[in-house]
Amino acid sequence: MKTLLSSFALAFALAAGTASAKDVELLNVSYDPTREFYAEVNTAFAAQWKQQTGETLKIRASHGGSGKQARSVIDGLEADVVTLALAADIDAIASNGKLLPANWQTRLPHQSSPYTSTIVFLVRKGNPKGVRDWGDLVKPGVAVITPNPKTSGGARWNYLAAWAWASQQYRDGGKVVDYLTRLFKNVPVLDTGARGSTTTFVERGIGDVLLAWENEALLTLNDPATRGKFEIVVPSLSIKAEPPVAWVDKNVAKHGTRKQAEAYLRFLYTPEGQRLAAKHGYRPAEPDKVPAAELARFPQVKQVTIDNAFGGWKKTQAEHFADGGFFDRIYQPK
Amino acid sequence: MPYRHRRATATAALSTTVLHPVPWLLGALGCALALPAQAQSQVSVEELARRLEAIEQRLGTASPAAGDGTAAVDTADLDQRLRVIERKLELQAEAEAARVASAPVVSLSAAKGLSIKSAPPGDVEVKFRGLIQADGRFFIGDERVPQNDTFLFRRVEPTIEGTWGSLFAFRLGAQLAGDSATVNDAYVDLRFSPRATVRVGRYKVPLGLERLQSSSAGAMVEGGFASELAPVRDLGVQLQGEFAEGALSYAIGAFNGAPDGRDGATTNPDNEFELIGRVFVEPWKNSGGALSGLGFGVGASQGDKRGSGNNFLPRYRTPGQAQFFNYRSTVLADGQHSRWSPQAYYYRNRLGLLGEYISARQEVLLPTGNARAALDHRAWQLTAGWVLTGEDASYRGVVRPNQAFTPGGAGWGAFELVARYGRLSIDEDAFPRFADPNAVASQADSWGLGLNWYLTSNFKLVANYTHTDFEGGAAAAADREDEKAFFTRAQLSF
Repeated sequence: MKTLLSSFALAFALAAGTASAKDVELLNVSYDPTREFYAEVNTAFAAQWKQQTGETLKIRASHGGSGKQARSVIDGLEADVVTLALAADIDAIASNGKLLPANWQTRLPHQSSPYTSTIVFLVRKGNPKGVRDWGDLVKPGVAVITPNPKTSGGARWNYLAAWAWASQQYRDGGKVVDYLTRLFKNVPVLDTGARGSTTTFVERGIGDVLLAWENEALLTLNDPATRGKFEIVVPSLSIKAEPPVAWVDKNVAKHGTRKQAEAYLRFLYTPEGQRLAAKHGYRPAEPDKVPAAELARFPQVKQVTIDNAFGGWKKTQAEHFADGGFFDRIYQPK
Repeated sequence: MPYRHRRATATAALSTTVLHPVPWLLGALGCALALPAQAQSQVSVEELARRLEAIEQRLGTASPAAGDGTAAVDTADLDQRLRVIERKLELQAEAEAARVASAPVVSLSAAKGLSIKSAPPGDVEVKFRGLIQADGRFFIGDERVPQNDTFLFRRVEPTIEGTWGSLFAFRLGAQLAGDSATVNDAYVDLRFSPRATVRVGRYKVPLGLERLQSSSAGAMVEGGFASELAPVRDLGVQLQGEFAEGALSYAIGAFNGAPDGRDGATTNPDNEFELIGRVFVEPWKNSGGALSGLGFGVGASQGDKRGSGNNFLPRYRTPGQAQFFNYRSTVLADGQHSRWSPQAYYYRNRLGLLGEYISARQEVLLPTGNARAALDHRAWQLTAGWVLTGEDASYRGVVRPNQAFTPGGAGWGAFELVARYGRLSIDEDAFPRFADPNAVASQADSWGLGLNWYLTSNFKLVANYTHTDFEGGAAAAADREDEKAFFTRAQLSF
């Protein structure tokens, strides 16, 4: 029996050894509009990591509607880190997938949101429909482009920003729902993600106003191909969008990449990471680390937060976006 | 872009989509908008607006900018509405593409049966397989040791196997041919790499060459004598793998311990384990030369067995499945049981050769008189095959006939002639204390001839004649009557 056990110990050691030799690779599962930002972050961090540790790090990125991306991770996409549009999507990975602890948001500064953004309007040059504020979006003949809150994190921020404005404007629940209903009746195309909506508005020429992440709108204005064709309208009230980041504990443990994943996310809080965020239109969580000149492009805007205006993401998700929630009552697919 | 040109481009895109629920309607619109200037001038903007509105209603995509039909229609409005339809069709196409890309692939083919594979990368796959063998068995001249002529199902084996991610594979197979259903194979593989896979469950143990051959690929209806000394299936755990693109394969495992020629019990009745291993080499496997089909190896087992009855001591059978040797009922297995088996095959074009030798040594005890012995039984067999129709012979049989049999057609499938000779010798020290020489034989020699007809890659008809003669096994030290068996088989496998 002793011989037998020794043989098997040796055999299993051989098997484990065979499985261990692998390249160091990180997979960042993110949402739509971060494509360009993380492309640059990945290059910068990999170079810094190589210099610090000598280790060659390959960082892959996956982008899509935030909700769909979260679903993919829950279903088995082995993300080392997730950088999604809203905390509810990472909460879903924690609660449904059991892939990271429930208190994940406490592990990094600023509730694990190294940058923020807000929701603005992108309109065609000259603003031909005269869209100035949320109330203009429900006027007849104004076609509004926004993605589907069921699949897109950005769309949920759009929806909540509109809700927050309507709540202050009407101070009556029925009127708020009526406003949102009329708003979504003015949406001719409901894309699954924010980048798709930008494509609908900018490239396909559909609609009069795009409800957009500020960084997405700034990107459009910075693009030489589209710079002269659009302008940004800042509404009287918007919402502070806090896209969070987290490493996925079970996956990094499986891949042996916890150290790299955590360093990657902490890099976002460094002066270099914060500068890159500002460069790509995100408002740095620690603006003092970024030269003032690079912050000038972000106008002052009155913002509500998800916690103050809606009682946090868990409550908001259940009330507005879960099956049978407000959004299902407001929007009936054609 | 000029307005007319833009319309023509847009409608061309619309008319080519395959997902559209009302293609004829869009086609009509496309034709109208793409008409030459002269013809187009005959169609008013209002007419186009009405037709576009009809499309929107059919699609359920009425745009908020579309108006109620009473307002004056302008080309900018039509343009916007058409763009909305185009974009929605794009999204439909994207959603459909994503749906198709994420949908599992179900395939059914004669060669591979039914399988379901997950969306790319397709690392979850489930296959449904089946093996049915229906035999007709007839014995000639069996007056003194009569055997029942019979029709029977030898095997009815539905199997589910597959992979679950890159790490896990599994197989679950039932045997329904007996009076009660039993589990054949039930195991999970942890595939760390091709060189190291851990298999846990119940499966064929890595020892006998013919025993490890698929039941559907055997050259003759029943196995030869060497297989009578090799265990069949058992519960355990083994490490297996291959190197050099399969030129060297190995397996080593610990099992509950099965008697010769039989499956192991469902539990471990004597609390002893058996270590079994096998190495097989095909040095020229990937060379493509004359020796590429040569493989040889050795299997061995060692463990203790302690107990009496069928879970511990062997009963040996002829190729006609008649038992010709067993121990006296008072004998116990009591000590080391070891086997070793050099083995080889050679397949070259239409020629197939398979040979193996096996020695099985068991310490036995006869409590009455406290007699003890270590008995060494030995067997060997050599099987040769020749494919008459020119297909390649292989360890897996004739995999695919050049021309499958088609009633009334030119194809007749593949025909293979096979022959086998083998011997099983019982240790002389077994007699008379541990085995009764008047009831069981001390040696059996058998030769057999067979014809295999592979009608298709899934269907096979087999006819065998085997002749077995014995030393001993009858009263007064006489030889047991020769066994002359004519077996037929119809086999469906996929």
